Amino acid sequence: MASTSGSTTAVEEREIERKRKRSAAGGESAAASVSKWRTRREHEIYSSKLLEALRLVRAGSSPSSPSSFSVNAAAAPPRSRAVREAADRALAVAARGRTCWSRAILANRRRRLQAARRARLRNPATPPSRHAPVPAAGGASAQGDGGKTPPLARKAKVLGRLVPGCRKLPFPALLAEASDYIAALEMQVRAMTALAEALSAVSSSSSSSAAGGSSSPPA
Amino acid sequence: MSSRRSRSRQSGSSRITEEQISDLVSKLQDLLPEARLQSNARVPSARVLQETCNYIRSLHREVDDLSERLSELLATSDMSSAQEAIIRSLLM
Repeated sequence: MASTSGSTTAVEEREIERKRKRSAAGGESAAASVSKWRTRREHEIYSSKLLEALRLVRAGSSPSSPSSFSVNAAAAPPRSRAVREAADRALAVAARGRTCWSRAILANRRRRLQAARRARLRNPATPPSRHAPVPAAGGASAQGDGGKTPPLARKAKVLGRLVPGCRKLPFPALLAEASDYIAALEMQVRAMTALAEALSAVSSSSSSSAAGGSSSPPA
Repeated sequence: MSSRRSRSRQSGSSRITEEQISDLVSKLQDLLPEARLQSNARVPSARVLQETCNYIRSLHREVDDLSERLSELLATSDMSSAQEAIIRSLLM
């Protein structure tokens, strides 16, 4: 054990331990959650949830009948958004409430449903994590960002708008949420792509064999 | 370095250090698809944030396209074939 290399690793270990103790922005949990979205198990969980959500979408829209083909064509654009919202909801549920964006997706959805039922009281706003409104920077505290220059603050604000529900987070939390959100989105894209591929393969084979999809599902 | 350490320890978790931020930025950079080219050099954080925004937007677009495609596919298929499709995709 050489002295210099031993001391360097000791310093490194102390730094790592310090970061682990503090972990204010959840730096190490970000790495764990990012790898979580890549596992096969999460893929399977998300796929099953997606299936359930899609089933609800199908039940919600008009039952597919060959006679009302024009009605189905007219309902297609809102249905894609319903599919998108169902997929996002399934993704948020798969996050198990650990992240800010998942809570925001679920909260927004519930709020929108309630607002649609009653009269529109107010805009469906950001989730109830309210900090004091800051004029320039996207950070909640003035000293919380470690000396961000204005162009970085602008980009941070844009990023906060892109990730749902993270508009007023301090900068490190925003970065952690963004990394988790990106990993989750990638998994969503992978799962939906696989589902679309498999569905198109199945539907093409079934349409070639028999009349396309007219077998009524058991109620 | 020691002064920063003591300062951060005194004020608890309210003082967020540069190294924490740069650590998160580098993690974010690793997630981006262009990370292979740029993982050697330390890219300025503004660029990383810009690439992150672009990447999130492109992912959103992909999800929208996929959901459109899925909605069309769902309209023309029934539930049993959808279940079969999912199981098949999971097994693959």
